[in-house]
Amino acid sequence: MMKELMMSLAVLGLAGCTAVQIPADRLQQSEASIRGAEEVGASGVPAARLHLQLAKDQTDTAKKMAAAGEQRALLVLARAESDAELAIGLAREVSVHADAVRATEDLKAVRDRGTN
Amino acid sequence: MKTQITSLLATVAFAGLMGGCATTAPTELVEARTAYTASNNGLAAKLTPTELHDAWIVLSKANKEFDEHGDTTACRDYAYIANNKLQLADVKARTELDRQKIAEAVKAGVTVRDNQVKTTRAALSSTREQLKEERRDSNAKTAEIEKTAEQLEAEKQARLSAEAKLAGAMKDLATIAAIKEEARGLVITLSGSILFASNKFALLNTAMTKLDQVAEALKAQDSDRRMVVEGHTDSQGSDRINQPLSLNRANAVRDYLVAHGVDNDKITAVGMGSSRPLLDNKNAENRANNRRVEIIIQPSHLSVR
Repeated sequence: MMKELMMSLAVLGLAGCTAVQIPADRLQQSEASIRGAEEVGASGVPAARLHLQLAKDQTDTAKKMAAAGEQRALLVLARAESDAELAIGLAREVSVHADAVRATEDLKAVRDRGTN
Repeated sequence: MKTQITSLLATVAFAGLMGGCATTAPTELVEARTAYTASNNGLAAKLTPTELHDAWIVLSKANKEFDEHGDTTACRDYAYIANNKLQLADVKARTELDRQKIAEAVKAGVTVRDNQVKTTRAALSSTREQLKEERRDSNAKTAEIEKTAEQLEAEKQARLSAEAKLAGAMKDLATIAAIKEEARGLVITLSGSILFASNKFALLNTAMTKLDQVAEALKAQDSDRRMVVEGHTDSQGSDRINQPLSLNRANAVRDYLVAHGVDNDKITAVGMGSSRPLLDNKNAENRANNRRVEIIIQPSHLSVR
């Protein structure tokens, strides 16, 4: 994905034109990552919520930059995508960690039950 | 991974040499480099090497951009993305570690539960055996109780039968003897005239039939009751004659009864002579009543030796 992004940037740099076209799949990918972050509960995890918001803001910014012909639009979109993916990771971490704590407590309870 | 580190360090060194004092690396890039070193020495190197490698690629771009163009927006963007990717590599590594902990806890839980099930089964089996044992004991006790109950019932029936037999014997006896309940016991009085000839102590033949009935009645009594045969005469004649006569008559009756099944150890004979008349001896009828043999069946409390 990053390779494609870099190639797009290179092409745009060479062209040096004023209009920047964000590939549809790149935008879809970024928006899908944002939706994915929301679905795994990123809004409920402070650290994840911050990156989710950054992802949204930067996606909007990338769109505006593309419309304004700024070549940096694709890099900003890549920033947005990296924030969305980090938001997903952080939200999952909290969920899995809670499961791990619960599993450890369950094991302790099972062991305690066996000794009582 | 070592190759990556070497390459990164070379890039950094190169940047330092080439850039020199021209440009200072932007904060984002410095942070990304530091973060990479930490992640490469941490969990991510072991648990999420692919994510770490992705971060390294972007960090390399940031370094290259910085090396070639200095502190540009693109350099900062790459550094920003590299930072995020490094954080993601660490986050995923911690998540993986948690997943491993979950898997281990589940596995350990299954083992513990299996052991508990085995222990519980063993305890259950032991309890079942104990219950079987207790049930066997209980059955044995029940059988013993039933046997005792049967014995008690048999004894009860035997007692009822004996009582019925006694009642019948006493009823028959009442036709030939006077029966009276006194403080000294149950007194059976047989007239002397039906047992003996005058001044004799040999039993008359007719007496024997009657004494057979007496013997039956005595044998039907409780085995623990003692019996005394008392011989009595009227006042005619001297005590020298009456005393031995009364004793001999009592013995004759006693011997006959013993010969017909009455327990020898339970029955004794005494001669009372004329000492205890029932009536005065003024006329023949009274004297006839005074000539008698009494068989006293003592109450149980008087029968203890």
